[in-house]
Amino acid sequence: MKKTSVPTETYYSTNLSSDLFRLTPLLPVSLENALGFDAATILKQVEPETKSLILDCRKMGSYDSYFVIFYAALEKFCLANNIQFSAEGVTVDMKEFLRLFGSKNDLKTEIKKQSFFVNYLNQIGNHTINILKDTRDFIEFIGELILKMLNLIVNPTQIRWRDFPLHFTKAGVNALPIVLLIVFLIGVISGYQGAALLSQVGAEIYIADAVGISITRELGPLMTAILIAGRSGSAFTAEIGTMKVSEEIDALNTMGFDHIKFLVLPRVFAVMIAMPILTLMADLAGILGGLLTAITALDLTITGYLNQLQSTLSYWDVFTGVGKSIFFGFLVAAVGCFRGLQVRGGAESVGKFTTTSVVTSILLIIIADAVFTFVFQTLGI
Amino acid sequence: MEQKPIIQLKNVTVKYGDRTILDNVTTDIMPGEIFVIVGGSGCGKSVLLRQIIGLEQPAEGQVIIDGQDFGATTGEARRQILRKFGVMFQSNGLFASMTLAENIELVLEEYTHLNSSERDEVIEMNLRSVGLGGFRNFTPAEVSGGMRKRAALARAMALNPSILCFDEPSSGLDPVTAASLDKLIKNLNSVLGATMIVVTHDLESIMSISDRILMLDTKVKGILATGTAEELKNYTKDPNVFNFFNRIA
Repeated sequence: MKKTSVPTETYYSTNLSSDLFRLTPLLPVSLENALGFDAATILKQVEPETKSLILDCRKMGSYDSYFVIFYAALEKFCLANNIQFSAEGVTVDMKEFLRLFGSKNDLKTEIKKQSFFVNYLNQIGNHTINILKDTRDFIEFIGELILKMLNLIVNPTQIRWRDFPLHFTKAGVNALPIVLLIVFLIGVISGYQGAALLSQVGAEIYIADAVGISITRELGPLMTAILIAGRSGSAFTAEIGTMKVSEEIDALNTMGFDHIKFLVLPRVFAVMIAMPILTLMADLAGILGGLLTAITALDLTITGYLNQLQSTLSYWDVFTGVGKSIFFGFLVAAVGCFRGLQVRGGAESVGKFTTTSVVTSILLIIIADAVFTFVFQTLGI
Repeated sequence: MEQKPIIQLKNVTVKYGDRTILDNVTTDIMPGEIFVIVGGSGCGKSVLLRQIIGLEQPAEGQVIIDGQDFGATTGEARRQILRKFGVMFQSNGLFASMTLAENIELVLEEYTHLNSSERDEVIEMNLRSVGLGGFRNFTPAEVSGGMRKRAALARAMALNPSILCFDEPSSGLDPVTAASLDKLIKNLNSVLGATMIVVTHDLESIMSISDRILMLDTKVKGILATGTAEELKNYTKDPNVFNFFNRIA
C-alpha cells in the first residue's frame, strides 16, 4: 500500500540537543495512527552523536498494541546504535500492557525465512518421509493382522464373533442394491460400446463374450471393491476414528482387550466373506445388463446370448474374479481400520483420515488388480 | 510393618519426538491412598497417567506395579496387571454402541466365569453404587454428562480393581455434579480401600479428596512439589506452588 505523506507535527514533537533526542507523541500511539508513528521515519532524525533517546509518554493519551511495536522498535534501534533509551511518563497500566504484550526473550522463536524453492524442496522431502513412514506402518499393521488371523486357526474364539453379523449386514447385505445397480449399468454401457463395434463387422453374437469376460474377470470385482471402499472402508475409518477420539480404544486397551482382535478382525472377516458373494451377484447383474443391450440394440435372442456366453465363459474367468475380490475385501477393510487407528485429535482428523482411507483403498485395489492381471496373463490363466 | 508402594515410578522420562514432556519423574504411590496429580495445562499430568496405566511406554525409566516392571511384561502377565486397574477417562471412554449394562458386561465376560444372571446382578449392583440403578438399558448418548462419568466409574469398578484412575473427573461438569462425583470417589475409596489416582486441576476437587498430591510443572518437566493439600497450600516456599494452591494468577 502506498503511504501518504503525513503532517508529522500533529503526531509528535521532537527536541534535539547535542546528544539528546526527546520524542513526545501528541496523539495516541495506536494502529489507527500507525502511519504517523512510523519508527523508521522518526529515527532518521536521530543524529550520529546522539547518546540518549527519551520517549515522553505524558501527552499521548491512549494506546493500543501498536504502542508495543513502536516502543520495541525504538528500543531495538537504541540497542543497535549504543544509545541509551528511556521512557518518561509511563503509567503502571502502560508498564503492565508492555509486559503482557511485549517481547519475551525466553519465548521468542526465531522465524527463519526461506526461499520459495527451498520451501518447496522441504515440502517434497517431508511428504516423501511421511509416505515412507506411512507405508512402513501399513506393512507392520498388515503383518500384525495376518499373524492374528493365523492365530485364529488355533483359537477361533479369540475374536468377537458377536459383531460379525452386524458388520456383514452393513458391509454386504446393505451394499447389495447399489452394487447390483452399478454393475448392471456397467454391463449395459459396455454392451453398447461393444455393440457399435461388433455390428460393423457382423459379429454381434460376440457381445456375450465381450461383456461376460470383462465383467467376471475385471469389472465385477473391481467395481464392487471400489463401491465397498467408498461405503464400508470409509465407515470403518469413521467408526474407529471416532472411538479413538472418544478414548474408547484407550479404554479397551486398559481393560486388556486387543483392539485388533476386538475391532479390526470382525470387520476384515465380514468384508472378506461379503466380497465374493457380492462379486458373484454383481457378475450376474453385469451379464444381465449385457443381455439387455444384446436384445434391444443387436436384436439377439436370450437363448443365443446365453448359449454364446456358456461356450465362452470358463469357470476360471469367474473364479479369478471372485478370488481377487476376497483379496480386495481384505485390502479395503484393512485400510479402513488402519486409517481409523491413525486418527489423532478431534473431528477434523476423523474427516481427513476418512478421505485418505477411500483414496488409499482405491489406489491399492487398482495396483493389486494390475498385479493380478499381469500374473494371470503370465501364467496363462 | 512398613507398607510397600503399590506403584513406583523410577526415573520416568517421556518424549514425543524430540520434545521432552516429563524428565526423570520418580515417586511412590501407597496402597489405599488418594493420590492426586496436579499442575497447569500441558504439564504432563495425563501423559504421566498414560504411563502408569500402560497405554504408553516411557522413553526411559520404569513403572513398577506391585513389584512387577509393567513395561517388561507381555501376554497373560500384562493382562493380570491390567486387571488391577480401573480407569475413568476424561471423555469417559464408554462404548457408544452399547448400553450402560453392556459396557460393564463386556469386562465381566472377558475376565470372569460368571453366568448371565450373575453378571446381571453384578451390573445392577455396580450401577446402583454410582446412582444409576434404573439406567442399565440406556446408551451413553441417552444420559447426561455427569451420568456418563458415573457409568464409566461403574465400569471401571466392575472387576474390583485395586487401583482406580481418574483423568480429569470433573471436566465438563457443573460444580454441584463435580462435587458429588468427588464425594463418590472419596466414599468408594473408604469402602473399597482401592488406591485412587486422580488427575485434575480443579482446586476444589484437590482440596476435598486428596491424601497426597504430586504437582507437575511445564518448566521443570517434572515434579515441582509433593505433599498433602495443607502442606502445599500453607507451608510451601515455592511461589509457583503457593500461587497454584491460593489461586493467584
